[in-house]
Amino acid sequence: MWTYDRKLQYPVKIKTPNHNLASIIISQLGGPDGELAASMRYLNQRYSMPYGEVTGILTDVGTEELAHLEMVGAILYQLTRDLSPDEIAGTPFATYFVDHTVGVYPVSASGQKARVTYDNIIRLCDDPDVLDPIRYLREREIVHYQRFGDALRIATDHMNEKNFYAINPSYDQ
Amino acid sequence: MTNRRFAPAFSGNDQASLTRRLQAIDFAIQDTVLYLDAYPDDADALDYYRSLIEARAGLLAARSKEMPLTVYDNTGTDWDWVKAPWPWQPEAN
Ligand SMILES: [Fe+2]
Repeated sequence: MWTYDRKLQYPVKIKTPNHNLASIIISQLGGPDGELAASMRYLNQRYSMPYGEVTGILTDVGTEELAHLEMVGAILYQLTRDLSPDEIAGTPFATYFVDHTVGVYPVSASGQKARVTYDNIIRLCDDPDVLDPIRYLREREIVHYQRFGDALRIATDHMNEKNFYAINPSYDQ
Repeated sequence: MTNRRFAPAFSGNDQASLTRRLQAIDFAIQDTVLYLDAYPDDADALDYYRSLIEARAGLLAARSKEMPLTVYDNTGTDWDWVKAPWPWQPEAN
């Protein structure tokens, strides 16, 4: 269980957008040695760890890496926030822009993939002690998917407002 | 770790200042927590940890009035949780 703190671990306040810099930093987000990989590695190493101190460190460092992930996200966001699609086109950052600014569908879809993965686990698993929490997690994915549906509806409601990317007619004529 | 004391480097009671003050003390706590994970029997470090937690309580209450820190802190009459600025926005830092 985690609780979100509505603050960065360390302030990020970037005045000048710079997509080239962003394209260099982005590997720290989801790259093979990025913050996300680090967090997952530490947090997943905890379970069979026999030493409480190390379990504590893995837990607390793994959690802190998530704070770092958010800081990298903030850095990337602030580095690219005022760039127009024209300014981004032709830069190394263009592919990231394409992947991450299309709206809530991809997020929603990843929840669906997680749910399908739980479906497969449930098919392969016959231990009720395992199935029970797995079913709970699968239920949560469904709830998340429902909330993403709500998010999509909210996004759609705002579609005619300025600066909304998904299928804003002013961009896709 | 012997007889350390946390010396606040920031002041002010607006939302940004309170956030900065909380970031500072939470960083001290995080560092102390990682140290205590590795050295759980260090009595001085534990004393320091307790003093930090005590100092944090008042700060958390003050910051929560401006903007909840967690979903457990939305103490105002409105659902401030969804209000800007968000942590990654420059205005929040
Ligand atoms: Fe990190």
